[in-house]
Order: sequence, then C-alpha cells, then structure tokens
Amino acid sequence: MTQSPTLSRRAASAPTPPRKSRRRGANTRAGYTFLLPWLLGFIALTVGPMISSLYLSFTNYNLFDAPKWIGFDNYLTLFQDERFLQSVGVTMQYVVFGTPLKLAAALAIAMLLNSKRKGQGFYRSAFYAPSLIGASVSIAIVWKAMFGDSGPVDQGLSFFGINLGGWVGNPNMTMGMMILLTVWQFGAPMVIFLAGLKQIPTDLYEAASMDGAGPVRKFMNITWPMLSPVIFFNLLMETIHAFQIFASAYIISNGEGGPAGSTLFYTLYLYLRGFSDFRMGYASAMAWLLVIVVGIITLIFFKTSKSWVHYSGDAK
Amino acid sequence: MIDRRKFLGTVALGTASAAFLAACGQSSSPAQTGSAENPVTITYTWWGNDDRAERTRKAIALFESKNPDVKVNGNFSDFAGYWQKRATEAAGGGLPDVMQWDLSYLRDYGQRNQLLDLGTVKINTDAFDKSLLPSGQIRGKTYGIPTSTNAFAVYYDPAKLASLGIAEPDGSWNYKEFNAFLAEVGAKGNGTLFGGTDYTGIWWNFNIWLRQNNIQAFTEDGKLGFSKDDLKKWWNLTGDLRGTAAIVGEDKATQLLPKSPFGSNVTATEVTWDNFMAGYLADSGAKELKLVPVPSDDPDNLGLFLKPSMLMVASAKTKNKDAAARFIDFMVNDPEVGQIFKTSRGVPASKTQRDGTTFEGTDKLVVDYEKSIEKYLKDAPEPPIVGFGTLESTFKRVTQDLNYGKLTVDGAADAWFKEAEDLIKQNA
Repeated sequence: MTQSPTLSRRAASAPTPPRKSRRRGANTRAGYTFLLPWLLGFIALTVGPMISSLYLSFTNYNLFDAPKWIGFDNYLTLFQDERFLQSVGVTMQYVVFGTPLKLAAALAIAMLLNSKRKGQGFYRSAFYAPSLIGASVSIAIVWKAMFGDSGPVDQGLSFFGINLGGWVGNPNMTMGMMILLTVWQFGAPMVIFLAGLKQIPTDLYEAASMDGAGPVRKFMNITWPMLSPVIFFNLLMETIHAFQIFASAYIISNGEGGPAGSTLFYTLYLYLRGFSDFRMGYASAMAWLLVIVVGIITLIFFKTSKSWVHYSGDAK
Repeated sequence: MIDRRKFLGTVALGTASAAFLAACGQSSSPAQTGSAENPVTITYTWWGNDDRAERTRKAIALFESKNPDVKVNGNFSDFAGYWQKRATEAAGGGLPDVMQWDLSYLRDYGQRNQLLDLGTVKINTDAFDKSLLPSGQIRGKTYGIPTSTNAFAVYYDPAKLASLGIAEPDGSWNYKEFNAFLAEVGAKGNGTLFGGTDYTGIWWNFNIWLRQNNIQAFTEDGKLGFSKDDLKKWWNLTGDLRGTAAIVGEDKATQLLPKSPFGSNVTATEVTWDNFMAGYLADSGAKELKLVPVPSDDPDNLGLFLKPSMLMVASAKTKNKDAAARFIDFMVNDPEVGQIFKTSRGVPASKTQRDGTTFEGTDKLVVDYEKSIEKYLKDAPEPPIVGFGTLESTFKRVTQDLNYGKLTVDGAADAWFKEAEDLIKQNA
C-alpha cells in the first residue's frame, strides 16, 4: 500500500504509556477515591438493576405480587407473540435503512465542512444543533405537526403536485418519517467524522492530485481507508443507538406504536408490556434478548471489521 | 497543612454519605393527626386537562379552608401516562394517599391489596343510588366511591345536520337505521363531513350491545361471558361502512389526535360518554350539541347503565387514613364541590351534591339526558376483570387495524381472543 509509510510514522509518534511512579500506590488510592461516587452509582443504579432484571426475566411478575419463577417461558412465548415479531421487524427496518443513511449524511456534511471557508464555525454549529435537541420531546412534537395532515411537508409536496396526505396517520409513511428524523440528527457522528478528517494529512491528497486522481478516486483510496476506524466507531455506536430508539416513537404515536403498529419499536413494546400490561417479567426478557442481540451484532461487526478497517501501524 | 490523603478521604466520605442520605430522604415520621398549626399532608393525584386542574385546585382550597389540619398536595397528568406512573409507584410501594380512579383499573389494584378498604373508614354514602355503589366494590369490599356518573349516548351537531338537510334523530333507532343515518351524512357530506367514527371500536359500546342481547361481558369467576362469534357479529355491524364516507378514515382520525374527529368538526356524530360534552363544545366551537340514546334492535332494552365516570380511592399504605377519608367524603358529597365541577366529571353521584348544584346550559343537557333514559337504566356493571385496561386498549387497536384494512373481522376476533385468553391465564 502506498500510504503505509505515513501510517507507521504516525504510529511511532503515538503517546507512550505513562511512566511508573514511586507514588503509584498513593495515586491509585486517590484515583479510586475520586472514582468512588461513580462506582457506587454504577453498582447501585446499573449493575444491581441489571441483575434483578435478569432474575425477573425468568419470572411472571406483575409489579404487585411477588415474582413467580417460570424458567424460560417468557423467552419462549416471545416468539409466538405477533406484536413482538412486528416490533422486531419495525426496529430492523429502522436500523438497516436509518443508520447507513444517517452516517452517509454525517460523512457528506463533515466533508463539506472540512474545507476552509468563511463562516465555517457557524455552519458547523448549525448542522450540529439538531442532534443536541433532537432527542427531546419538543422536537418529536414539532416533527409530528410538520408531517401531519395539511402540515408544512404535506403542503410543500402538494406544491410540486405530490399528494401524499399526512404522514403521521398513514402506516406506510411513518417509517420514512422516523428515518428522516434520525437522519436529520446526524450532528454527533458528523463531529466525530470531522475530527477524523482533520487527521488525514493533506499531503496525501496533494500527492494524489499530482498523480491525476479525481475526487472519487481520492475518496475511495485515501479518505475511506484513512477514516475507516472512525467510520467503524460511528457505525457501531449509531447501530446500537438505533436499536434503542424510544422517545420520538413514543411521542409521535401517542405511546401506542400506531398507526397499525407501524411505529411499534422494540423498546416501545417493551415499555408497554412492562408498564401498561404489568408484565414486567416479559419486558425483562425482552430487554435481555435485546442485550444479547446487540452483543452478537457488535461481535459480528468486530469480526468483519478486520477486512476493511485499517489502523495505523497495521502490518498489512 | 491539611494532609492530602485525609482531605480526599473526607471529600469522598462526604459525597458518599450525602448521596446515601438523599436516597433515604423521607425519614421523618409523619404525624397521625394534624392540627391547624401543624397540619398533616396528604397527596392527591388525578388525570385531566387544565380545566379540571383549575376546578380541582378550587376544590382543594375549599377543603383546606374547612379542614385547617389537613394540607392537600395535588398533582395531575394525562390519562395515558397516568396509569404507567401509578404502576411504577405501586411497585415501589409509594402510591399517593388519595387518587382519582377509573373503573377499568379498579380490580388490578383492589384485588392486589394496593387500595384501602373504604368500608373501614368514615365516608358517608347515604346519598348514593344503591345500584351504583357495587361498581366500586370487589368481593364485598369497597375500594372506590363514585364521584359522578356518566351514560353512553350519541352526540350530534344539529347545525351540521341542518346544513346537509338531514332531519335530527330522536334516538329511537335500531342498528340498521343508525347505519343508514351515518351513510346519509357521509354521502351528503361530500368528503369534508363524515358520518361518525367506527362505533364498534369502543369496548363500552360493545358491552352495551351485549347487554341488549342479554349476554354478560364477564363471568363471576373472571372469564369472558361472550363468544368469538358474538364479537364477530359486533364488528360486522359496520362491515359495509368501513372505507366509506359513513365512517371517518383511521388515518384522518389519527392525524387529529389528541382531539377527536367529532371535536375537530370532521364528523357529524359521535357515540361516547355524555360527560364529554364540555370538551366537545370547547374543541369544536359548536353552538349546541345534542344527545340521544344509542341504537338498539330491542326497543325495550337499550342496554344502558350509569357508570361511575370516576372513582375516588385511597392507597392501602396511606399513613393518614382519617385525613384521606375526610378528603374523599368532601370531594364526593360536598354541594360546593358539585358547584365547582358541574358536569365536567359527569353528573354528581351523590344526591346532596347533585341537589346543591345548579345546572345550566350544556350541563343541564347532560343531566336531562340522564333523566330521559332513567326508565331504561339497569345496574351498573361490576368492576371488570384484572387486566381489563389491556383488553380495552387491545380492542381499540384491533378495530383500528380493521379500519386500516390490515385485518379481517375474523382475524381481528382471533387476535383479540388470543390476547384475552393469554391475559386471563396470566392473572389466574
């Protein structure tokens, strides 16, 4: 590979691990002391509930009576539950289409913002803003109004002769709307892409230009491989995020996953099962299944990443 | 100089203990009885809109002025979020002292010992109609006291009917005639005004139809009293109307949420509870809305009943039983409270409260409607089975799928029965 000398040079300049200190023991203790508040919170608020949720997933628990042990029943009944299967389908659709689109948008905008232009700071903040407020309830409400019957989107499209009606009440349109909503919130991966792009030495591009490479070739042969660790990181994080979509779906569908189950996302169904139907054991089983599935997907990502993610200092 | 290690230790200990103390905050022991100088505090929660919040605040202020030894902390939310909050609180053992309650959830909480047996405290029920009280009772114990009653009715907007040249109905109609009426409105409404919402999507309307056919919705031992065929018959009633202008499309109805199609002036009629009058008037801006009885194929049996539109309950774990009971007694019996709420909670259930309230305008319409159907009224239904809230929302959801064309009537009945049987098995 032509760029490998550059890569190994960067590896050589990577920071060396901190040197051992005589006061290491004291430092460790101080470290743990400062860690303590977080550690207590982690154990009490994360590990504890996780263990109890694992236990509850093997029980029939209605929030009022003591949990009844039923073994793997919850996990088995899940696969005969049509609404569960529907929620899996809805969520997969969202993950498979929403995540790549969001990342593509984030990368495209990051590349635009990477060049030196006037007012670049303003543009960067403007593009980042939606993702800051994006998860909030108010945005979901605004979104719902925008895509409602005779809302701005409907009116705008009719101007071009496209009459789709409102999107919110149409089961065939809601998924498109939810995906648009997540694509619009590309700010967080964009910032990370931007940081990654800044790391690519400009002399690589200059050399490529001298060799007569066009923009497509430069992207394929320089940007993509150099950026691949960042792309991998963003892909992983955004996929996990997409599996966890809840707030916007809850607001847009009035907490019901409608119309006709088209926004019945996995976490929304989990929530409804737990808190509306009082079937907390069932909901816990769903939660653990999600943990396992996301774990497996992460593992697959890591395994396959070896063929396309290039880290500096890699032998190949 | 302060030793650094000691300093860090102190900081860490301080942080940890502060967090610990915050976690076990409510450690002060509450007093059983209060005085004007040192009142006991009870918490009260209800669902509703701003209008109800305003009225409730007035009622609480009045109670506090008459009972200086009790302070009431009020809190409200919308109906959907209300039950999810209560479920979480119940799991944590921290339900509010007094709560506004719905019949659908009385068994879930009452049967599981979350609610106070109000028979053990002093609440005056002398002024209540004896046929109404059983709806707050489970296995002989009183868990809820009705604040007010409502009955099912067909709303219509006379001005809209007049503009289409359709005569006002008098409420003596069977289902065929009612359907024809909806179809006529839809045909003349020219795509902007629909007949109504699919009335088969409402559980309570189905319940009334069952009663018209002398079928019990639920059996004594908590099972279903009707068959899948009954349900199919019910959903087939509007089979010819779905997808026509007689019934407003589900996509349109969804868009209009949280307002109803009737409140949004998209339909000319709506079949629902009579205490929604004030809300519909406010939403639609109509001058006048009228109420007539629901259709029935048996003119002598309309299947109608007075349902407690809301109940007052107390938490089984309340530390101020006496104050809670006094507040409930006040909210259901005091004539001045009736004057504050009028018919916005329904028609006051207690006679003293009803007599102490002057009903005018639309409030009078609701009271008059309930008087007009008096001869048809039968006993209020018992509290529905455990998990009824889920069944009711499944009922609505499945009918929506019917109207979206995602399910056939047979498929819908299968789906609902599967859920119902699963739920009954779960709670057995």
